Amino acid sequence: MRNIIKLGVFLLVVAGLAGLGIAYVNGLTEPIIAGQLLESKLSSFKEVYADADEIKDETDTYLKGADPVIAEINVAYKNGAPAGVIYTVATAGYGGPVQSLVGFDIESQQTTAVKVISQTETPGLGAKAVENSFSDGFKNKDAARPVEIVKKEPVQGNQVLAITAATITSKAVADGVNAARENFMSNFVK
Amino acid sequence: MSLVNEFTKGIIRENPLFVLVLGTCPALAITTSVNNGLGMGAAFTAVLLASNIVISALRKVIPDSIRIPSYIVIVAAFVTMIDLIMHAYTPALYKALGIYIPLIVVNCIILGRAEAFANKNGVGASIMDALGMGVGYTLALVVMSGIREILGAGTFFGIPVLGASASPALIMILPPGGFIAFGCILALMNKLQQKAS
Repeated sequence: MRNIIKLGVFLLVVAGLAGLGIAYVNGLTEPIIAGQLLESKLSSFKEVYADADEIKDETDTYLKGADPVIAEINVAYKNGAPAGVIYTVATAGYGGPVQSLVGFDIESQQTTAVKVISQTETPGLGAKAVENSFSDGFKNKDAARPVEIVKKEPVQGNQVLAITAATITSKAVADGVNAARENFMSNFVK
Repeated sequence: MSLVNEFTKGIIRENPLFVLVLGTCPALAITTSVNNGLGMGAAFTAVLLASNIVISALRKVIPDSIRIPSYIVIVAAFVTMIDLIMHAYTPALYKALGIYIPLIVVNCIILGRAEAFANKNGVGASIMDALGMGVGYTLALVVMSGIREILGAGTFFGIPVLGASASPALIMILPPGGFIAFGCILALMNKLQQKAS
């Protein structure tokens, strides 16, 4: 019995010291990690909507209840007036959720750019969704028409060329864009 | 054994990945690019070094009957610290390695070295052992990811090496390619060792 208590106390001390060590490192790294997440968020916002003075999170205003696809809606302001909208969307890909940013320009009612920010797709196939060769296809699409993934060179304005051998991933990105597009049409187009 | 010997044994003679065949799960999963291999090797070496030092220093204090849970707590603490540090200072690498950083906790090389070496030897020898094993594991990961990245993506460290006309064999950076590369390297290591003995 005494031995069990002794061993238990020893483990308690080991775990306590380990906890102290982790708490110390966490205290050092926490602000850096938070700053970095914010910075990478802002810089990826810039990539989908470059021309903004200020970007505000207005998810609560434009999203009624929980949406299965749209996670965040950020509005880009230029000279005090809303100029663009940046949607954070997540859809099911081949290897898990595919998270992307979709930017819209309010004046032209077109997409500005699409950027895949997080994915667990197959390296060399679906993972190519992060490359510009794919996402550039989503630039300047008319927000009034759903984008469509095609396997051959696109002939119509609303079509986007799929990634070779990664149709599911391509469609996942397109689904996200379309969900954002519908929300954009109902909220920002009069 | 001399200290130099403790260091060099991990590099080829007792290479953790190719001879002891430990730590194969991350080795198969993350060796899709040299950058990942090197990053994983560095994180692994840091954890192994820290845990070997602490465990060898405490080898007379830790009661024998609860040594394994004590080792796990110590290793897990260091892994969590490395995880936080990598998240803060090397975000791109942190993202690429993903779940395999926390999984260093259950990497059998670390527990294996604690059990087989650090709890029987002094701090100095344990440091050399950790450095040798760490460098050996890192080298093994770099060799394997180098082969897979060149054949599978046509690049080395992200720099194209095969030229635009060559089409890389995609399978090499997919999971089957990991097994193919690993099997071929193991066969080669066995052949060389047979010759040497």
